[in-house]
Amino acid sequence: MVEKSDVRVVRCGGSKINLRPPIISTDSRFVLCASGDSVKVYSTRTEEWLHSLQGHTNQVTGIALNPANHLQVYSCSADGTVKLWDFIDGILIKTFIIGYRLFAIYVSEKHDGISLFTNILPENSDKCFQLVAVHLPKSAEQEVEAKELSAVSSRISPNPSCTAFGREGQYIAFARHLQLNVYFFRKQKTYSFSLKATDKKGAKNAFTCIACHPADDCIATGHEDGKIRLWRNFIHTKEYTYSTQHWHHNAVNTLCFTPEGTNLLSGGIESVLVQWQYGAGNRKEFLPRLGGSILHVSTSSDGQLFCTSHSDNKITVIESSFKVCGVIQGLVKGDAVFTDLMIDPRSKALVLNGKPGHLQFYSLLRDKHLYNLDIVQQEYIYEAGLDQFEVVKAAFDIKGYWLATVEERGQKSSDLEFVLKLWAYDERTQSFVLNTTITAAHTDRIISMCFSSSEETTMLVTTAEDGQFKAWCQGADDQSFWSCDFVGSYHNLTPTNCSFSADSSLLAVSFQEVITIWSPDTWELLTTLCQPPGVVRDLCFGQLSCSKYLIATTTRNLLCCWNLLTCALEWSTSVEVSKLQPDPLSENVAAFSYQSKHTDLFVFKPNEPRPLFTHKNVCSEKIHRAVFVPREELLNNCDESSQWLNRSQLYFLTQNMDLLTFSTATEEDRMLSSSKRLVIDDSIAVTPFYLLLGKHRQQQQKLNTPSHPALLHTPAHVLPAASVLCSMFVSSLLISNTGVREMESSEQEMNSEKEEEHSEEEMEACDSQQELRAQGSVDEVTPKLSKAQERELKRVRKTDFSWMAGLIDSKP
Amino acid sequence: MAADGGRAALPCVFSPKSQQFLALCAQDGRLRIWNTDSKTLQQEYVPSAHLSAACTCVTWGPCRAVQDVPQRKRRKCEAGLAPELSDLLALGTAAGSVLIYSTVKGDLHCTLEGGHSGPVNSVQWHPEDSVLYSGSDDTHIAEWDLQTGKVRCKWKADRSAVSSLCISPDGKLLLSAGMTIKMWNLETKEVYRKFTGHSTMVMILCFATTRPPDSNGMYFLSGAAHDRLLSVWQVRSDGKDKNSVVSFTLTDEPQHIDLQTSNCKDEPVRLAVVCKDGQLHLFEHFLNGPCKKPLSPVCSLQVSTMKGDSPVPVPLLAAALCADRQNLMLAYGHHLQPVMEKTPFNTSERHICLVRDVHGTLSLSVDTAVSKVKTPVVNKQSKVLVPGLPGHKAPIKLTPNEAEKRKKEDSTTEMSIEERLEQIELSVGGRDAGKGTSSLQTDSFAVLLVQGLESKDQRILTKIFQTKKEMLIKNTVARLPPQAVLPLLEELSSRLQGHPFAALLIVQWFKAVLTQHTSYLSSLPDLVSQLGSIYHMIESRVKLYQQLTRLHGKLYLLMTQVATNNSAKNVGNISHKAKLVYEEESSDEDEGSRDEGRPEDDSDNWEEDEAAMELTEDKKNHKDEEDDMNDESKANGDSDLDPENESEEE
Repeated sequence: MVEKSDVRVVRCGGSKINLRPPIISTDSRFVLCASGDSVKVYSTRTEEWLHSLQGHTNQVTGIALNPANHLQVYSCSADGTVKLWDFIDGILIKTFIIGYRLFAIYVSEKHDGISLFTNILPENSDKCFQLVAVHLPKSAEQEVEAKELSAVSSRISPNPSCTAFGREGQYIAFARHLQLNVYFFRKQKTYSFSLKATDKKGAKNAFTCIACHPADDCIATGHEDGKIRLWRNFIHTKEYTYSTQHWHHNAVNTLCFTPEGTNLLSGGIESVLVQWQYGAGNRKEFLPRLGGSILHVSTSSDGQLFCTSHSDNKITVIESSFKVCGVIQGLVKGDAVFTDLMIDPRSKALVLNGKPGHLQFYSLLRDKHLYNLDIVQQEYIYEAGLDQFEVVKAAFDIKGYWLATVEERGQKSSDLEFVLKLWAYDERTQSFVLNTTITAAHTDRIISMCFSSSEETTMLVTTAEDGQFKAWCQGADDQSFWSCDFVGSYHNLTPTNCSFSADSSLLAVSFQEVITIWSPDTWELLTTLCQPPGVVRDLCFGQLSCSKYLIATTTRNLLCCWNLLTCALEWSTSVEVSKLQPDPLSENVAAFSYQSKHTDLFVFKPNEPRPLFTHKNVCSEKIHRAVFVPREELLNNCDESSQWLNRSQLYFLTQNMDLLTFSTATEEDRMLSSSKRLVIDDSIAVTPFYLLLGKHRQQQQKLNTPSHPALLHTPAHVLPAASVLCSMFVSSLLISNTGVREMESSEQEMNSEKEEEHSEEEMEACDSQQELRAQGSVDEVTPKLSKAQERELKRVRKTDFSWMAGLIDSKP
Repeated sequence: MAADGGRAALPCVFSPKSQQFLALCAQDGRLRIWNTDSKTLQQEYVPSAHLSAACTCVTWGPCRAVQDVPQRKRRKCEAGLAPELSDLLALGTAAGSVLIYSTVKGDLHCTLEGGHSGPVNSVQWHPEDSVLYSGSDDTHIAEWDLQTGKVRCKWKADRSAVSSLCISPDGKLLLSAGMTIKMWNLETKEVYRKFTGHSTMVMILCFATTRPPDSNGMYFLSGAAHDRLLSVWQVRSDGKDKNSVVSFTLTDEPQHIDLQTSNCKDEPVRLAVVCKDGQLHLFEHFLNGPCKKPLSPVCSLQVSTMKGDSPVPVPLLAAALCADRQNLMLAYGHHLQPVMEKTPFNTSERHICLVRDVHGTLSLSVDTAVSKVKTPVVNKQSKVLVPGLPGHKAPIKLTPNEAEKRKKEDSTTEMSIEERLEQIELSVGGRDAGKGTSSLQTDSFAVLLVQGLESKDQRILTKIFQTKKEMLIKNTVARLPPQAVLPLLEELSSRLQGHPFAALLIVQWFKAVLTQHTSYLSSLPDLVSQLGSIYHMIESRVKLYQQLTRLHGKLYLLMTQVATNNSAKNVGNISHKAKLVYEEESSDEDEGSRDEGRPEDDSDNWEEDEAAMELTEDKKNHKDEEDDMNDESKANGDSDLDPENESEEE
């Protein structure tokens, strides 16, 4: 455990799942995607997160199925390793240490052994990406250092979708800016073709993505201006041709051929998936309104499922008939979090702005996106450079009956337009109902907004850049619409923050350096508090027994605490606080301070200037958003350092949009004790058909021996006489040496215990059945075997089977 | 069978711990899993034999953690613990088989067959081991080993059907019930105790305490068909436990219960019972020995919906007590589309009726939510506040500046009698004057207006306000008695908020009122608050004036240009063409020579085609551009005047 305190920072989800293209497993049951420093496995049917493959120490930057074994996946990471996983059981099989930061991985099955092609960023040169072929050595060890590196190209595009393997791994195509390069492995040569930066119409020609046809010599390239070019005949540098197709109005983000090569899928910012028929000119199909611009497209190996990943941190699973059948939604990450992090008092879900024009509700308990609430109710057009309404502020009242939202347009250009909306929660229909819309509530942008915290009357206070703050109240008359109750200002200064005291008897509004205290009943200015250096950045009242204190932070590294009874400064310290967050359920206040490139956390009670708890180096970024979430079940930590986490949990959002939290040791222990793995055999017959057919097939598979294919695939002129072969063939039909085969072919599976048991069972079965006969016949046949087979047999003999003996012994 | 007759209820269960899901088997034989967080349909599963062998009971398996927590040395910032997931569901069918369904996979996990010959009435998971117990109409209890999927043990439990099962929290005892309740020791599979008392099939069994059985603190609950009582039994070490110790009264046969055990001494056991009549009863009780009187619920809850004007009860399907001890998770409505809700409950009220709009949300086809977007209700009833409407700004009496001060003075210092008298006189005089005129001219506009204002007759008022004659307006206002001035102003301001076109006429009236009656208005004590809204409106409308005129000017400029453009084209098309034939050739050559210099064009013929195509296109463009140029020069000549015109207008 970590040092002194048992409070740790843990990531609690919400990480990006759209960084790299998702992968669909061969049986179409799972979707794998790189997410933070792990690979997440989702079910395609239920969209549930099954488990994650953890082990990398840095961002996972690429995943690829192992072509030799479809139950295994390679992942590469910026920590310089490539790992091989069994993704169904979540077992790490092997680690290959490469030693450079890896940025993408491309795997080809046709290359001898297993070769990986990875984007590498050498440490000495900056911003220069290399394409390197790596030969992964075969060895039984867990950690292997891969040293056989050979550079294919020293300068390639940092965009990993600009590189792709060609037909059967014969060539690799990679593009950079305006140049398309094709490297042929047989000739060991690179051909390059270049386009001009702009053609006559002023279109931008830079390459954005590449896909190679799986069966044809054809490369499809996407361009910045939305064109798709299909290159052919590029085996000869001089006589290459290309044809152009144009539908996308903006850059093509991704291209992907279906496994048979009959269709080409493309996607761009307009969030329309386009399917082009290969070789049929301009015939195409569309799947529009997928929400969020399409970043990647991938297909399953049988071509039945497509997967698109979108800019709003979402993976859509699409059937080949162009029907959306599932959405895997992560925490939506826009450009920034405009609204604060909030907790919906009803569902206890985390609320922040999600899709453009929506508020998203995210369940922290289950790390799952619940839904997006459409606030703006206008179709969002995914196009660059449009100015559209976005939700910029939102606030809940204490019971969750009211939701106030501010939507705004014109941050970039033209006049500012914004609307304040008040939504009432209607229990009859169980949804929010629009109560009042206030256009141009202020003459300038709204800076902050808060509801009064008392339970009898609700009041909303907004502060804006026009130097005024307004208090809004529900009208006493008929329909309880909202109207303005009071407009306040102070010396024409710009108000920055507003906060209600715990019992709503006081309102504090900070006007730059001055904090004014108002009485919401009479709207009298009661007093002003001032601590000159620096503009007030954050403001909050103490809770519960500390409600007589007011805490404020300034831009000039000052944390002040006023006593409101004496109207005097109680204490102040010099600390740079980037975020101040009071806990609504206790007296505690959390302050994140950013100093010398890392963030520290202080938790204190306002009545004394000594922190209750400090956590140094929480993360390396500045923290602007944090929230206390009430716990569902209270903890009873007696330890002083973790006592502040008893009633609520502190979540915070880093600038990389990672959602982190603090967890205590007792919490983990409890979780560990309560969670036991239920072992249930799931290979039991599912349907009556399976009972009949499955058994039959299993028997057939047992009969199927490895010498068949060897015999049938060798050219006829190389084979010995038919009479010689005949006896061998017949005898091979009798032998069932699947167990032996299992071991030689998949030495990588050795580490997975399940596999072992499996193979072992089969071994036993075949041993008991035909041990004698098998041995006899093998001995008989060996002299007549071809050289290749002999070699293989020798290898089998050399393989160490000692591990099996141990296993057999251990089995009860 | 008697058991089937009693089991009209369809299985409906919340997932344990955090009630994330609701599993429900509807009349159509399909299993539906609803997400209680987003209140959407999560999954739908159709058992292959859903018509022949309907699902009779559903039980959630114990929660499993998604993954093991690595015990290695932890890094500073690693992933948090995976949340616990309720995954597996055991379904008993009428055919005697047990299906195990995985919500994570969205598919059947395995089927357990060959255990029973009659319908399965109850399925229970062992809390720790991967063992499942099922009780059936064939009077047997089967113990399934889930690792192999085979029956490990099977024994005859009763003479009649086994209708209900329950396993103690420590996993050592099993309760089974037909007519009599038997407690089995799971290790030896022997009867440990027998409890008799119910005369009908026992449908519900539930352990109420977690304490070990050696002390006397072991309690359990039972409820039987057609019985409006829930009985609590105490398992005593001395064996004197023939009768139930406590009973809870209900309004109907219990259908679904949820029990929250007490964690400490001063916390009562809580029980939520959903009855067949769709009501929910909440009980709180300290389990401590026998209690003679039947206990009545602390709180009863009912859901109703409005059908027309009369409330219609909505049956509750299931209820669960949330772990935070403050909320209650409810499912109500129809089995095909239940509504889930988390409500805080207070036991201070004995009867609670929740009015919900169930029909509004009922639709015929339910899709599993793909879009994950919820649209809040936006209807006409919401109010729109724009600048100028009352309520957009604070009522002016409270502005903190001079107005406020003045108001304060007014309110604090009382008016002297002299002032009052003066006012009375003034108003009397005014009224006299009004009367005087009215007596002379009965058909005058002023009288009509006063009448209209007094009776609030919209028809008369609209008629009056439609006049455009300035003189008439002036005279009418002048003859108006002072006490009618304020109502007139209010009427005017309310009309001003309406259509902007009407405002055009109203403004004239305003002008007249303000010029004629300033003296009276200024004498009013609460003038500021009276005229505040009018002031706001005027202010906000004027604020936009500058921008609007600017926009108007720009639009005008554009429109005139477009108009001249069009007219110029129509006229000048033919004459220009002849001119351009000559110029076209020269530009063509330029373009061509530039294109030939391109290296890529040499490489393929196709590109050349394209280039050629583009050339011709370019030519056209070029021509068009020149056309435009000519037109524009003309247009510019015209429009040069426009800005000046604009400024004059402004």
